[in-house]
Amino acid sequence: MKKNDILKIKDLSVSYGPIKALKNISLEVNEGEIVVLIGANGAGKTSLLKAILGIQKAESGSILFLGNDITHKATDKIVNSGICLIPEGHVIFSSMTVLENLQLGACYNTHDMGKNLERVFEWFPVLRERSRQIGGTLSGGEQQMLAIGRGLMSNPKLVMVDEPSLGLAPKIVSEIFNILIELNKEGYTILLAEQNAKKALECGNRGYVMETGKVVLHGATQKLMNNSEVCQAYLGSSV
Amino acid sequence: MEVFIAQLLNGLSLGSIYVLLVTGFNLMVLVARIIQFAYPHIVVLSMYACWEVLQLTNNTFLALLSCIAASVILNVLTEPIFRRLANRDGVDINASFIISMGMALVITDIMSHSLNYGFPIAFPANWVEGNLLRFGLITLSKGQIYALVGGIIAVLLFFYLLYRTKQGRLFRAMAENRYAARLVGIPIIKTSILSYIIAGLLGGFIAILFSMLLGSASPNLGEFVALKVIAVSIVAGLGNLKGGLVCGLLLGIAEAMAMGYISGSWSNAISFIMMLMIVLIKPQGLFGTKI
Repeated sequence: MKKNDILKIKDLSVSYGPIKALKNISLEVNEGEIVVLIGANGAGKTSLLKAILGIQKAESGSILFLGNDITHKATDKIVNSGICLIPEGHVIFSSMTVLENLQLGACYNTHDMGKNLERVFEWFPVLRERSRQIGGTLSGGEQQMLAIGRGLMSNPKLVMVDEPSLGLAPKIVSEIFNILIELNKEGYTILLAEQNAKKALECGNRGYVMETGKVVLHGATQKLMNNSEVCQAYLGSSV
Repeated sequence: MEVFIAQLLNGLSLGSIYVLLVTGFNLMVLVARIIQFAYPHIVVLSMYACWEVLQLTNNTFLALLSCIAASVILNVLTEPIFRRLANRDGVDINASFIISMGMALVITDIMSHSLNYGFPIAFPANWVEGNLLRFGLITLSKGQIYALVGGIIAVLLFFYLLYRTKQGRLFRAMAENRYAARLVGIPIIKTSILSYIIAGLLGGFIAILFSMLLGSASPNLGEFVALKVIAVSIVAGLGNLKGGLVCGLLLGIAEAMAMGYISGSWSNAISFIMMLMIVLIKPQGLFGTKI
C-alpha cells in the first residue's frame, strides 16, 4: 500500500496552565490505517485528540492534515476540513431526537445529507428504528453508535475515536470494535485512543504507547503486542 | 365579572410583553450563556431612539425602523464585553450578571441625564388611543390589541425558528451541550453573536409593542421591568423557554388582578411575594432550569 500520510504531528506540546499535558509528541497517520493510542489514565491521549481538533491550543509544534497546517485553526474549520472526534462517554445531544443529532453532525455537509444519513442508517439499523426517539432515552451502546454515526455524517477523512469502550458491557464493546474495523475496510482512516490495550492492539495496524504526555514506544501492533514492557504494563500477561 | 374580564385582558396584554422579554433573555441565557440583566434597559433605550427619530422626522416608518436597529446594535455591542469573560463552558454566568447590572445602571443614567432632560417621553396619541372595543368596564385599546396579536405572532415565529430551522437546531445544540456543539463543528462565536442579533430583533419589536401599550416611557422603566424578567425566568426555571411563556403571562395576569381587586400600589409586592413562595417550594423553578 502506498504510504500517504493524512495526519502528521511534529513536536506538539500542550499545557493546561502550569501542567504540561503533552511533551513533544510526534505522530503520523497514513491513509487507510487504524492507528491506536494506548496508555493509562492521564497519559495524554484525550489531550492529544483535543489538540488535533483545536479544542486545546497547541503551545509549540505543528499539526499537518492533508498537507495543510491546522495547528492554529478554529475547531469548526478543522471539522469542516474533514476530521471528526467521537468523544469519550458517548457525548450526544440528549434532549434532541436521534435524527436531529445526526443532522447536527452534518452541519456543513448539508448537500450530501440525505446520502450520508442513508449510509449511517445502513451501518446502524437501530438508529433508523429510533430516529424519532429522544437521544437521552437510548441505551449506552446505542448512544455510542449515535455518536459514531453523528461523526460519520460530516464525511470525515479521519475519524478519531476516544475510549469507545468506556462504560459499556463487554459484548457491546466487541460490537463497537467490529464496527470500527468494518468502517476501516470501507476506507475510513481511524485514530483510536483506548485504555483497553488488548482490544485496541488487536484491531489496529500501528500503535503508539503514551506515558505522562510522551510517546514512549511506537510501531506495528504485532510488534507492540510481543513487547515485554507493553505486555507487563498494559496487557497483564507475559509473552 | 366585568372587572375580572377587564383585568384579564389588561393582564394578558402586559403578560405578552413579559413573555417576549423573557424569551429574548432566555435565548441569550441558553446560547450565549449570559445573564443579560440590561436586556430590558436596551429595549427601553430603543423606545427612546424611536421617540427621538419620531420627534426629528415625524416619520412613523423611520421611527419603527430605528427602534429595531437601535435594539439590535446595542445588543450586539455588548457581545465583545461578555466574550472576554469566557470560560470553558461559555461565559462566567455570575460575572455576566454583575457586568450587565453595571450596563443597566449606565443606560438608566444616560436616559435620566441626557435624553429629554430626564423627563418621561410620551408617544403620539394616535399610537395608543382608539378603543376598539368597549363594553361597560371592559375596553380594549389599540395598544393592547397590538401587544396581544404582535406577541402571539412573535412567539410563534421565534419557536418556528428554534424548532423548525437549521439555525434553530444549532442554537438548541449549543444550549444543550457546548462541548458537543464544538465537536460537530458549530462555529461557537458566530452562533452566539447570532443569538444576540435575534434577541436584539425581538427586543426592537418588544420596544414597538411596549410604546403602543404604555404610550410613554421613563428612565426607570428598564429597572422596573428587568427585575420582573429575572424573577419570571427564575420562577419558570432559568433558560426554560416554555416555562417563560406560561409564567410571563401569569405574572401579567396576577399584576392586573392585584391592581383591580386590591390596590395598584400593591401589585409589585404581591407578584414578588408569589415568586418568593414559589422559589421556597420549588427552587428549580416551576418548569425546571435548563442550564
